[in-house]
Amino acid sequence: MDCTQIRDAFVSGARPEAQAREHLASCPQCRELFERDAELGRNLAAQTTRPLPSSDDLFEQIEGKLARETGPRAWLRSRPSPLRFTLLLLPLLLVLLAGGLLGQRADLEHYPMQRVALLLCVYFLAIALAFGKQLSESPRGHALGDYVGLLAFALAVPALAAFAPATEVSRRIESSGAFGCFGYGALLTLPIALLLWALDRDDRPSLRTVCLSAAALGLSANLLLELHCGNGDWAHVLGGHASLGVAWLVAWAVTRRLSRARGRP
Amino acid sequence: MAAYIAGDKAAFRELFRRYTPLLLRAMARDLRSPEEANDLVQQTFLHLHRSRLDFEPGRKLKPWIFTIALNLKREYFRRSKRRHETSLDDDRVAEPFEGPRGQERSDASRETARALSALPAEHREVIELHWFGGLSFPEVAEALGSTVAAVKVRAHRGYVALRARLGDDAPVPHGIHEGKPSIEGSK
Repeated sequence: MDCTQIRDAFVSGARPEAQAREHLASCPQCRELFERDAELGRNLAAQTTRPLPSSDDLFEQIEGKLARETGPRAWLRSRPSPLRFTLLLLPLLLVLLAGGLLGQRADLEHYPMQRVALLLCVYFLAIALAFGKQLSESPRGHALGDYVGLLAFALAVPALAAFAPATEVSRRIESSGAFGCFGYGALLTLPIALLLWALDRDDRPSLRTVCLSAAALGLSANLLLELHCGNGDWAHVLGGHASLGVAWLVAWAVTRRLSRARGRP
Repeated sequence: MAAYIAGDKAAFRELFRRYTPLLLRAMARDLRSPEEANDLVQQTFLHLHRSRLDFEPGRKLKPWIFTIALNLKREYFRRSKRRHETSLDDDRVAEPFEGPRGQERSDASRETARALSALPAEHREVIELHWFGGLSFPEVAEALGSTVAAVKVRAHRGYVALRARLGDDAPVPHGIHEGKPSIEGSK
């Protein structure tokens, strides 16, 4: 006999007696059920027989919604999770490559490549982690830490980078203004944002989606700008680069609020 | 599930018939209205449909459905920034049983529902999944992404807390089952 059979016996009213005694000897949680004339076991069993909320037309409602699951978004969000993850990372790599090649920073050849490689790796790993968490179907737990931590990283690291010592070459560089960099980063990450929205299976963006999407998109934009702009001035980096994480956070939060308002009866 | 993935619509109806009562019983206790409970179940089946290609053959379906439902339920509470100030339980425990013994049962039921609602989420969740969702402890562990040992510890702590909350003066629903389980010497 095991814990499930003990539970079933309580629910059905059978008498497990002899076999249960052996199980109870090694199972402290089931012993609790039998304390005081099996009071707790019987009380919990009584809860399982209580009436359920009516669900008469629920199946028809679900069928109706499933019938509307057509089109590109329905196809994309119903792909297996590893494929959805790949469909998100590949375009990002292409955008990074295209952005890096087309709008390359003027001082790239003078820039310490180890520093660029390290930055690329750290940012890219954090982005992949955010995408992976967002697309995963695994249990999510009660803690906010797993996604708020990533968001804090995505907002703080580019902002801290604004105060990193600039190289001699980057000090002499003349690049586009902060607004230009902001537009360049936002424009190139927009397709990734749309893809992220299309691949997300939730109809109403969750707080988790808002945080993880903002983290991934903010870091993607900063990675692109790292390859594009060599301006090390702290005001420029804060206003034109690091602010993109905040901008994506605001954009997703507004989307969430609008979807909540639309979903309200 | 394999038939459903292959496109058999009757298989979906069977999944709905089999799992809706379990989901409603286990998940709807903290919600304010039947509409909220039905909405959560609806979201669960929509999500199940969208993630059907993620299902690995040979894997148990029940813990997987409950993982989806729990993720949605947690998000629901985060969205509404609350946790069962007024639950469906408060209404349902008020439904009277007949006769004086029925009143006794109703009191016990209300007390148990209240004590259950007052438990910390991690303890309550395990007990609800096991008792009302019909999941075994290994299945509960799978649904929560935890270990069987951890889940059993949480159940034990939950049971101890429940008994403490119910206290000595809580009415016991005598005769709910004809052959109630009782073990001599287990007290």
